[in-house]
Amino acid sequence: MLLKRISWLLTILLAASTALSAQGTIEEGKALFTSNCAACHAKDMKSKLTGPALAGLEERWAEYPREDLYAWIRGSQALISTGHPRAVELWNEWKPTLMNNFPGLTDDQIESLILYINDVASGPKDPPGGPTAEVTASKDSGNFWLFVGMALVLGFLAFALMRIVDNLGNITRVQRGEEPVNKTLAQTMTSKGFIAFVVFAATLIFGYKTVDNATRMGRQQEYMPEQPIAFSHKLHAGTNKIDCQYCHDSARRSKHSSIPGTNTCMNCHSAVKKGSTTGTSEITKIYASIGYDPIAGKYIEDYDSWSEKDIEELYKRWIGQTYVEDKSLKSMDDAGRIEVETQWDGIVKALKDDSNGKIQGPIEWTRIHNLADHVYFNHSQHVVVGKLECQQCHGKVEEMEVVQQYSTLGMGWCINCHRETKVNFEDNAYYEQYERYHQEIKDGTRSAVTVKDIGGLECQKCHY
Amino acid sequence: MHQEKGIWVSTEELNQEESFLQSAEKEFVMEDLVDSDGAWTANRRDFLKMLGFGLGAATIAASCEIPMKRAVPYVTKPEEIVPGVANYYASSFVNGGDYCAVLVKTREGRPIKIEGNTLSKVTQGGTSARAQASVLDLYNTRRIQSPGSISNGELTEMDWNQLDEKVKGQLALGGQVRIITNTILSPTAKKALGEFTAKYPNARVVSYDPVSSAALLSANEQCFGVKAIPSNKFDEANVIVSFGADFLGTWISPVEYARAYAKGRKVDPKNPRMSRHYQVESHMSLTGSNADNRILVKPSEQGAAICALYNAVAALKGAASISGPAVNDKAAAALKKVARELVDNQGKSLVVSGSNNIMEQVITNKLNDLLGNLNQTVDFGTLSYQRQGDERDVMRVVEEMKQGQVGLAIIWGANPAYELPNAEAFVEAFSKVNTRISFNGVMDETTKVCTHAAPANHFLESWGDAEPKEGHLSLIQPTISPLFNTRQAELSLLLWAESANLNLEDEQPYYQYLKSNWASDVFAKQTAYSTPTAFWDMSLHDGIVELPASGRTVSFNEGASLNGSAVSKPGSSDVEISMYETVNLGNGSYAHNPWLQEMPDPINRTVWGNHLNIPVEWDGVNKINGWKDLNDGDNVEVTVNGKGVTCTVVKTFGQMPGTVSIALGQGRIEGGCGVGYGVNANPWLPVTGGLVQYGAGDVTVGEKVGEDKHFACVQHHHTMGVTAMSTKEEAVVNADEKVIGMDGSLTDRSVIFQASLASLPALQEKMNEFHEESDHLNQQTLYPDRTDYFGTGVKWGMFVDLSSCIGCGACQVACVSENNVPVVGKNEVKRHHEMTWLRIDRYFYGDLENPNVVYQPMMCQHCDNAPCENVCPVNATNHSMEGINQMAYNRCIGTRYCANNCPFKVRRFNWLDYTTADTWPANEEQVFWVEGEDKPYYADNLVRMVLNPDVTVRSRGVIEKCSFCVQRIQEGKLTAKSEERAIGDNDIRTACQTACPTGAIVFGNMNNADSEVNQKIEGAGVLAYQALEEINVRPGVRYAAKINNRNEELNS
Repeated sequence: MLLKRISWLLTILLAASTALSAQGTIEEGKALFTSNCAACHAKDMKSKLTGPALAGLEERWAEYPREDLYAWIRGSQALISTGHPRAVELWNEWKPTLMNNFPGLTDDQIESLILYINDVASGPKDPPGGPTAEVTASKDSGNFWLFVGMALVLGFLAFALMRIVDNLGNITRVQRGEEPVNKTLAQTMTSKGFIAFVVFAATLIFGYKTVDNATRMGRQQEYMPEQPIAFSHKLHAGTNKIDCQYCHDSARRSKHSSIPGTNTCMNCHSAVKKGSTTGTSEITKIYASIGYDPIAGKYIEDYDSWSEKDIEELYKRWIGQTYVEDKSLKSMDDAGRIEVETQWDGIVKALKDDSNGKIQGPIEWTRIHNLADHVYFNHSQHVVVGKLECQQCHGKVEEMEVVQQYSTLGMGWCINCHRETKVNFEDNAYYEQYERYHQEIKDGTRSAVTVKDIGGLECQKCHY
Repeated sequence: MHQEKGIWVSTEELNQEESFLQSAEKEFVMEDLVDSDGAWTANRRDFLKMLGFGLGAATIAASCEIPMKRAVPYVTKPEEIVPGVANYYASSFVNGGDYCAVLVKTREGRPIKIEGNTLSKVTQGGTSARAQASVLDLYNTRRIQSPGSISNGELTEMDWNQLDEKVKGQLALGGQVRIITNTILSPTAKKALGEFTAKYPNARVVSYDPVSSAALLSANEQCFGVKAIPSNKFDEANVIVSFGADFLGTWISPVEYARAYAKGRKVDPKNPRMSRHYQVESHMSLTGSNADNRILVKPSEQGAAICALYNAVAALKGAASISGPAVNDKAAAALKKVARELVDNQGKSLVVSGSNNIMEQVITNKLNDLLGNLNQTVDFGTLSYQRQGDERDVMRVVEEMKQGQVGLAIIWGANPAYELPNAEAFVEAFSKVNTRISFNGVMDETTKVCTHAAPANHFLESWGDAEPKEGHLSLIQPTISPLFNTRQAELSLLLWAESANLNLEDEQPYYQYLKSNWASDVFAKQTAYSTPTAFWDMSLHDGIVELPASGRTVSFNEGASLNGSAVSKPGSSDVEISMYETVNLGNGSYAHNPWLQEMPDPINRTVWGNHLNIPVEWDGVNKINGWKDLNDGDNVEVTVNGKGVTCTVVKTFGQMPGTVSIALGQGRIEGGCGVGYGVNANPWLPVTGGLVQYGAGDVTVGEKVGEDKHFACVQHHHTMGVTAMSTKEEAVVNADEKVIGMDGSLTDRSVIFQASLASLPALQEKMNEFHEESDHLNQQTLYPDRTDYFGTGVKWGMFVDLSSCIGCGACQVACVSENNVPVVGKNEVKRHHEMTWLRIDRYFYGDLENPNVVYQPMMCQHCDNAPCENVCPVNATNHSMEGINQMAYNRCIGTRYCANNCPFKVRRFNWLDYTTADTWPANEEQVFWVEGEDKPYYADNLVRMVLNPDVTVRSRGVIEKCSFCVQRIQEGKLTAKSEERAIGDNDIRTACQTACPTGAIVFGNMNNADSEVNQKIEGAGVLAYQALEEINVRPGVRYAAKINNRNEELNS
């Protein structure tokens, strides 16, 4: 019996340790993938993006030595020029898009990447955000009809009770030989008791609503403004599964999550020149912002000094040319001309505004998440140290066509989370200084340490 | 006369005058709440109108839609910028001969804070108030924004090409060209000047220093054949004698000297040893205030005093004496004793002199030679280049200009029309020069009389280098693109010289010029790097390069004869005056910086203006009066050498009877916010043998002619633990407790502890008793025991060593810069409304006529049992488990109960909307305005660029105070957490701590026994104490008692 237990234990330990080591490399692979590959290769490994789907890459390269695959990743152009059959095959399929070179990757790192790719490709995985997002995303709107039902039942009960009391009163009066009193509805409505009740209830409701609305002043939950570019998070983060922090990279490094610069868009969109749903109408705005010539496939040198007319000429040509190609027309038609004008107007509207009188320059997005004044919030604290999923505060952005504010961003909302969230107390050496808590956990008098316990509710954690 | 009372701050306190009590008991002056210039005319109707409007406006505001905000990303994000994360760049603060190696903190590409560069062996991470404040000059609204021509002081804009053509045309005429500068530290700039003078052989560069060290340079040339200043090793000297050299505040290289000096002044109670410092002077300088003994001599007696010391040393050493004039008897007797001590410490002593008389400097050099200090504490192995100017040269140029010999003059950094004693003559002669070009950044006195402005960049927009000391090279790199259409002066010169070494195809031609100069010149002198590129990259990263020392030794040139008759002669006039440079304003070049103007003078504690320091007198019975019964703020007519000006007086302890003094650098006429404050003392400076002297006889001080109604001296503001006589109660009462009737309970407050090294054991015993008594008192408490609460995790604490603090004020300006502390202006300071979170209290002790000084940096003490927290009705101030007394501005409703209840008086109330942070610009006309601007100072977006985005800009009606730099704490904690490691001492350093040149302030985790702050407290032993330890507020700040090394024999 004892032996059996020990062997069980051993098996579990063994399994755990192997899992641990495999995971370690997969973890590294994931990090490498996110920072190097995710720009062009789909995160689900199964769909094509700027680059091919990576699932099954080992099989496709199986007939060549492993070193060839390494060489391909480090410098694909070099391998193509040697005439390597698999390399040439890939080039023919994907040209003119070239794969970036990654000369810095070691063999081990590439193996980690492959492990990660296989891992993703094989196992069914939780959608990003996982179950946590599921739970937090559920809203309490479902309770509304329950409350209405309960209110109706209680109202009916109250009415019934009133009738019973009246009837009992009348019965007593009749027994005493008095006249039974049958109040009309109007009499009931004007009775002192009723009026007092109505006034009381009105004060209560009005007061509650006043406080509630006053608290909500300046809050913009569900704010969903129109943006200069119809950028779809659903497409990018949902369908294409681009990691949030690929674009919002400063979330892990800074207090701001930051809207990515146009150059980040260009990482993919120098290759992806047409949107799957919007065609040229949106992506051309990026080109017009940074000065990229999609026809020649290169950046414009002195774009800043270009006149609006030159810019108009270039991008109208591009939009028209694409229109003609897409429709397989021989020449431009009237609908096409209208389309070109409409798209150009969209570009002008998106990029030219009061503060920036020209097409060139930054895209001015409408800011959705506005924190109250005097609040200091740090993304990296929550993303890196707290290891929160973005979805916990921002909702399922990967399902949003147009982004809206998911949380209230009110202080009560912050505080609640700080009360409930447990600190990752064991794994971070920073928390070793909280000796008393460690002792209490050891003694069994404390089950967990929440953010509140390490000062997460103190004023000057957020207000300074 | 010895004062038994212990410490004191002013004559009013010593006399226990009721006016002092009134000033001290009220935290703010209420009767003067509205500026007396504008009568307060509000009545009931106005009130109702306001109320109605207010309600209406609030309703409308509440129903408005929230304005749409934009989020604008980069087009192409620079790789090194992460929005929200600061970048630091190594650079150098240089202004004339002032130098400091710095790191510039930038956020999203704009410089917001200056930190010291710890890699520099010159400044070793220390900074000065001037360096700290320099970032504000970048955002000065009065900067000249474009090149142009000037007529009648008005600028007409030109473009650079036009200007270049014009200047080159003038240069081609071949007339005499003079370039007038202050000391130039940059080797590459000198090379550029060299190219210019090579191209135009008629051109000559003339340098002078606004406060001159020309005599020192000439004397060193005579004595040692080296026209430069040696490294003075204050750390290696057991005995330091300074004849009027303010080496901790303003003389040559104060940051470097202060650090070295403090090294010799730190006392280890187990092994008590420290240097002894004698200061020979008439007015109390910052250095004098730190000295152990001050020997009082009149300004004209400096030469006599040097001779007296020389003769005393010579007598002991058996060397020949010189026949010099006689110094006053008291000083002569004292100097004899000093001589004995110097001779006992041969090779381990140091004599310096701030005199601008060549013979006095020669005798000082000979003294060091006699004492064997040459090549020991006076080290010529590493020369200092921080003063190179000679005003005799510029006087010669004035003569040339007067005779119409000069065709073109270029002003670079210097401001002779203000700084020179004969400024009027200069301006007149200058006007005879056909083309007059100024590189200066603001329309100052000299630029105003120029014909063309070619404004140079601010140093934070510039490329450059500096060699403050031989072999210590330092780079300047831009941290922001030029804000305006300005151009580097060096580049202008090279362009005008049509330099072949300048490649105009480059985006930044001067950068390439500098880089190639380093590759050719500096690279060859070092051995650490093998390629110029690697060398350049690393130098730029570090900001500094240290080349091997020259190892030069010198010997005294016996040909330099000592002539006692060539020293300054003691004057016979009843009153003498000395003119001195202050630590904050220099000789005026910093006067347009409001941070420096609002930093109180360390000694007389006045702001926004210079004041005539007058001595105080003991009336022999029971009172100490100002000289001639004058009082602080009285106006008097002062005439020096026939030139009369109305000055405001301030009574100053330590001012020698029969002398008065006044600071230079004020009374600016043109150029910025400093205009209109104080008087210009430069015309009073006598010139002897071509050299500017900083003392004068022939002074008459008239009777009181009025009062400065805006006289602003922070001396009696926010006083703590002081007593005075109340006429009402006819008893000595405790100022801050008078109102609540606690008279006599705890009148003997423990604010400062001090003793001389000799009586250290007695002090230790006294403090032991004091700690025991306080402990006993503090155990009778109602407060709950919170050892567990504070013992969990970190607890922040600070240690301030009063023996190391020299009162230079760098920490105060650093705090202002870091924490967006507003400038309030002179009138507001007068009403006790200054906002500084950190003040430096100055206390006197010892001899009434010649007292010693102790400085106490006083900031929020973050008391564990904080009295302010208990009285806040809305809990806006409360405690964190990390030991920080937190202040939530958005919760504060402005009752000011906390400020009332603070025993340290460190809480500041925003009476007005100083930073114009409010939505409603209600009383903006009362906040700080620069004369002639169309909006309040902080309402200008240019000025607001200096604000630290991590710190809330407070609006009217809230209390604020020191937060222990909580933004830095949070940042440091986050870094440690992200890196999954324990927090260390270097993760968090407060702004005051990093600014301090002497390392007097240490901050850290009190729960970690190994932290630096705990080590320091432990090292101080019983000398460590908490201010007001006996009242059981349990401050988080510890002070270490001030120890001096006073020679008691000197005054007997």
